[in-house]
Amino acid sequence: MAEELPLADVKVLDFMWVMAGPTATRRLADYGATVVRVESTKRIDTSRTLPPFYGGGPGPENSGRFHSWNAGKLGITLDLKQKSGRAVALDLIRWADVVTESFSPKAMRAFGLDYESIRQVKPEIIMLSTCLMGQSGPLSKFAGFGSLATAISGFYDITGWPDRPPAGPFGAYTDTVAPRLMVAAVLAALDHQRRTGQGQYIDLSQAEASLLFLGPALLDYAVNGRVHERAGNRDPEMAPHGVYPAAGTERWVAIAVESDEQWRAFCDVIARRELSTDERFSTIEERLAHQDELDAIVAEWTQGREAQEVEKVLQSRGIPAGVVQRSDELLTDPQLVHRDHFLQVEHPMHGTVTVEGSQFKLSRTPARMERAGPTLGGDNQHILETLLGYGAERMAALVAEGVLE
Amino acid sequence: MLSPYRVLDLTDERGLLCGQILGDLGADVIKVEPLGGSPARRHGPFYQDEPHPDRSLFWWAYNRNKRSVTLDIESDAGREILHRLVASADFLIESDAPGLLAKRGLGYDDLAAVNPALVYVSIAPFGQDGPKAGYADSDLIVWAAGGPLALTGDDDRAPVRVSLPQAYLHASAEAAIAALIAHFERQRSGKGQHVDVSAQQAAGQATIGTALDAALGGGSARRLSGRGNYGPLPMRTTYPAKDGYVTISLHFGTTMGPMTRRLMEYVYEQGFCDEATRDKDWIAYVELLTSGEEPMEEFERVMKILEEFTSSRTKAELLQAAVERGLLIAPIATIDEVAASEQLAARDYWREMEHPELGRSVRYPGPFAKFSETPIDYRRRPPTVGEHNREVYLDELGLSEERLAELQSSGVI
Repeated sequence: MAEELPLADVKVLDFMWVMAGPTATRRLADYGATVVRVESTKRIDTSRTLPPFYGGGPGPENSGRFHSWNAGKLGITLDLKQKSGRAVALDLIRWADVVTESFSPKAMRAFGLDYESIRQVKPEIIMLSTCLMGQSGPLSKFAGFGSLATAISGFYDITGWPDRPPAGPFGAYTDTVAPRLMVAAVLAALDHQRRTGQGQYIDLSQAEASLLFLGPALLDYAVNGRVHERAGNRDPEMAPHGVYPAAGTERWVAIAVESDEQWRAFCDVIARRELSTDERFSTIEERLAHQDELDAIVAEWTQGREAQEVEKVLQSRGIPAGVVQRSDELLTDPQLVHRDHFLQVEHPMHGTVTVEGSQFKLSRTPARMERAGPTLGGDNQHILETLLGYGAERMAALVAEGVLE
Repeated sequence: MLSPYRVLDLTDERGLLCGQILGDLGADVIKVEPLGGSPARRHGPFYQDEPHPDRSLFWWAYNRNKRSVTLDIESDAGREILHRLVASADFLIESDAPGLLAKRGLGYDDLAAVNPALVYVSIAPFGQDGPKAGYADSDLIVWAAGGPLALTGDDDRAPVRVSLPQAYLHASAEAAIAALIAHFERQRSGKGQHVDVSAQQAAGQATIGTALDAALGGGSARRLSGRGNYGPLPMRTTYPAKDGYVTISLHFGTTMGPMTRRLMEYVYEQGFCDEATRDKDWIAYVELLTSGEEPMEEFERVMKILEEFTSSRTKAELLQAAVERGLLIAPIATIDEVAASEQLAARDYWREMEHPELGRSVRYPGPFAKFSETPIDYRRRPPTVGEHNREVYLDELGLSEERLAELQSSGVI
């Protein structure tokens, strides 16, 4: 028999939306937590409008991204502006160990569901609020998507070519950083709460959490006054180091030569042994000083070859190299297939949908993903009846009042 | 929060952040380093550009709230000491090549025999198993394999990475989550387990789900210089300002279209477009473009208007307008601008830490979250090599002075 999942006794009430927050609570659901997402039918989660679409086109139940970011969660639709909607929310808060939200600051206060209010109902609750810039400060009201936090926290400027405007990382990059810290923060606070009974409020600014990933550059500025700038694919400690054209259109291969030994092996592979004794390239300092020449040599060798072949032959000699995998190639990458990175889960309307799997494996209690993201309001009855113990009459009244919308 | 728990951190540069996150959250983290210090200490930049194991800023960035001991874990005596440390540890984190520690008698099975409750976390480029598990790696290779590299950069040049290594930071932060999830299970079962983190899979998160498009037969997302794909539309995202660059997110549809409407109202008020441009149907705009009712050239003209507008304003002016009017514009901040951010200052983000060995304090990036009851405390600056050997080996492990001296002279510590 499968062992009970690690978070089987953890209950999360999730008011988060779009990408960052939902991908955080998705990890909790993967490992057994009961996650109840609160949604509105009037203000539909933006991620429900994102492609790709099942069912032939756009529609609130059709977004592949929504399902991937919300797989395994339960969903309830609730009008928090109505009094009885708030009452249901408070019952869910009594049920929950953790409450999470990612609105802009003050929204939860407007609903009467800010930390000060809900701790009156449940003093030991843990509440996480996350938004772009944090709950306080002159920019606390600065709202939007992760692409804006990516720009304002420095990642955008340092990505691209030195002779061009910044290109920025792909999309809402900090949306992929901050959720990791959200989960760590919530689990640590919950462990503390279980031992001490003390709940607390966590204010996680997406920009601040993400700056963890720029630590060396921020310290370099603090102590040396140096402003780290975009550098293409150059690396201060490796050469050759870059992305080189392979045979075919838009085929690229990444190569990173770290040591003298790898350099000599590389010269051997490309049948240019004379280069391994060439003074211009004999040490890392020399190679760094002659990178343009190196890049030309490497590209000349790669450009007629299949990217896969370059990966295989260089890896067989212990040289870090790999195909720059396009997003469609990820689905069939033998390594990702082996690791079950993409999974089929059930959906009541679409049969199955493809979602991303866990990024790690636990040897004894691996993740279990069985269902897609919730349909809008699809779990209303289950949540009210089973989790909250509401009777038929009360549920009928909520429906009649238009609260479950 | 995690103060009852001890972490043994055996990682090299691939895994340092995992232990630091647990340390920030309160755990007692012991960094176990080879005799000359961790290889991660060789990575620059360096304090005053002077290469030195205790002056690596990369090391500083990811090793606060840790203690350091040195130990030759390849020697029999070293292995025995590590076993004794494992007996009192709750977590062990390592980032060696898959199978390497097992060969040395320090694999999960070996150490679970010493301490069955141990949560043993392995961070590797491609995970512990699979056809590429033995691949040679680097940040760039993992970024290529995971998918984000193909999506980034100008379309007339090669794909480009973030110029500070990111892949292993994603993996290490994910490893901290994984460790805590296994810990929750241990609190019930009393049993540890092996946690296997793949940096490739962690990097995959930064594709924002683009592979899912292909699962439905969609095309592969392309990289576009300073642009992003919005469904079928190539959307410009980088715009010049008077003093640098800003990014603008244009969105359409019922939920987000009103934000574009607000932006165009502002652009109109500022005298950069006419009423007809302002009053386009921003809700249905994608459909209008897709059907051809709105020519693509017209959308190009709108983006040109935006460029003329942003070029005439400073980043600060545009940010202020964004905050006041709810516009999706952000300054593309340079690192010195991040350091000077009023928002970060107002939130008391930065932390000064004393470096007594340098006779000065250093301003560190601050905590990743604010906890109302148990705030993250920067208790220890990143340790110098073997700084806590005596504290750990004598006071905590109970080795005698003689034994420690012996182990030091035989090159184990």
